[in-house]
Amino acid sequence: MVELLAPAGNLPMVEAVVANGANAVYAGPRGWSRRRDRYELSDEDIREAVGIAHAGGAKIRVAINTNMQSHEVPPMLRKMERFVSWGVDGAIMTDVGAIALVHRHFPHLTIHASIGANILNDEDVRFYRSIGVSQVVADTKLTLKELASRKEQIGVGIEILIHANHCYTYLGKCWMSPYHRLERTVDAFGKDQFKGSPNRGGLDYRVCLESWELHSGETKWEDRVALKNDAFFLLEDIPHLIDLGVHCLKVQGREYPVPLVAEIVKFYRSLIDGYLAHPKGQPFDLAPWRATLAGIEGERNAARGQTTRLLLIEARQLVPVN
Amino acid sequence: MSQERIELNTSIPNLRDLKASDLSAYDAVYLGDIFCRLYEGNFLERPEDLRQGLRILRDRGKRAYVATYAAPRNDFLPRVRKSLEAAAASGADAVEVHNLGILKIAHDEFPGLPVHVGGFANVYTDAGVEVLRGFGAVRFTPNYELSLDEIREITATCGAPMELLVHGKMPLGISDYCFLLDYEGKWGVKCPDLCQKELFLKQGDWAMKSVGKGILSGKDVCMLEHLPRLLADGHRHFRIETVSESPAYRHEVAAVYRQAFAHAADGALEQDQGWWDVVRAHARNGLCNGFYFGKSGMDYAGIRPEAPGSFLTISPSTQ
Repeated sequence: MVELLAPAGNLPMVEAVVANGANAVYAGPRGWSRRRDRYELSDEDIREAVGIAHAGGAKIRVAINTNMQSHEVPPMLRKMERFVSWGVDGAIMTDVGAIALVHRHFPHLTIHASIGANILNDEDVRFYRSIGVSQVVADTKLTLKELASRKEQIGVGIEILIHANHCYTYLGKCWMSPYHRLERTVDAFGKDQFKGSPNRGGLDYRVCLESWELHSGETKWEDRVALKNDAFFLLEDIPHLIDLGVHCLKVQGREYPVPLVAEIVKFYRSLIDGYLAHPKGQPFDLAPWRATLAGIEGERNAARGQTTRLLLIEARQLVPVN
Repeated sequence: MSQERIELNTSIPNLRDLKASDLSAYDAVYLGDIFCRLYEGNFLERPEDLRQGLRILRDRGKRAYVATYAAPRNDFLPRVRKSLEAAAASGADAVEVHNLGILKIAHDEFPGLPVHVGGFANVYTDAGVEVLRGFGAVRFTPNYELSLDEIREITATCGAPMELLVHGKMPLGISDYCFLLDYEGKWGVKCPDLCQKELFLKQGDWAMKSVGKGILSGKDVCMLEHLPRLLADGHRHFRIETVSESPAYRHEVAAVYRQAFAHAADGALEQDQGWWDVVRAHARNGLCNGFYFGKSGMDYAGIRPEAPGSFLTISPSTQ
């Protein structure tokens, strides 16, 4: 049975997505995941989220998927020990050293290789499996054909992002944002926040969406080129992905308003259940879902557009001198 | 301080550039363009060119390394294996991997081939280095986002040899999509000639270099005045990134650094004004220090009064 995995950017979001049919949720401890700190949870909130998720019959994963510093590895392990003792069901991770250590210390914990690990080919999957990963998040650029080969040949769990951003660059292999602005602040718990570097746990300024001109020498060739970075919803592919036997359909969106995320989760719950209930071999009519999704997409686009504008303004601000 | 000899290396995408380049200031060269399979004459798509390139380097007394693709999908892998076969058969001194699937292939199928881990492989921690060592890696380019202090944390724990970018355009990202192809008709320029133009994405004081699927820093990373610090930290392997630069850039900047390293190794602190004239002449959008000092990558943390900072650029008239 395919799992619907939903974001948990705060405790009300945990409650909302579980109530609307998520089989699992993921939350990031503050400073340790690929989101701005305001969309991450304190350790105590994570403990509470474990209770909410389990009470609703859902699993919970902690996203400790920053590329951390060497000296942050021991505190990460202590943090993970607390989360495991509280009953988290899995960890989403990127750094290969951290993954190997967590697997050694907590061999029964399911480790998911994050989108930031940028797993692109079958040999990548074999590498991560060899260090203790049992599920991998597929890059958004991979095709169904590539995913099929993975499922058939390797036997690891595959997670597909069904609502996410399709960046111009490969996720985990881009530092355009901190090249333009990086603000380092240490929080009350000693965690470096790396504001501007998504790979290191801070926000992404989305500089790819700036109005770039293209120049060669002294000549301006184009007034505006688009480095495509689109948010997307998968719809037509969902039946194929379920038939393919993917383990998990993942909704990103910790940064969006709770009602919108709840609506997205409700939509996909309905779609998945509808497809699973329809007679095999019979045509499945996506038209009703297409209409519903159009409305949700409008809301999402408005929220994302506003956030992007604010981020690009913030990216131009001088970094305070410490 | 380690007495190991300093290695200055660079990267060259194809046979044409290799033959046109004066490599006298270099100790080693990486062959191949890691961004795009369609890059003109890419060594990584032409095993016979690669073998010839390796012979040329050996004849010139240089260590010869073979690069591999930074973002290989399944359909790249047969070609990657061909490159690794050519590297092994021709006696390459090492291969550079940016993708951990390729690291596994090299480890499993070409166990005698030394492996350098490249900047796209996301080496951020000493724990990560230890895992990659288990797969045969012997040298590491830390992720470009790391500061010198963070790199020192890694080396202090595990002692692994690091390779640092000291000059040139720092890779900032890689895509599966070349937006330049959208302009073939409009410009009347076809692939693979499109990315041979020197193209910069600009907005205000921001600039990035585009090589189609690859995005590089608009400014040139320049560590010229920080070489004593790099040597004091024990580093001995240094890259001048020139994969998308002209043979003149490749030669003249390296000549500066060869002299500057010799001075730094002798404990001399003074710098030749002529060195700065050369690096400035080649920098289209100014100089930066990347992330080495814990700041935004486009910042410059220099002490020279005329050193260009984030909001200063070098006038084209000085080129």
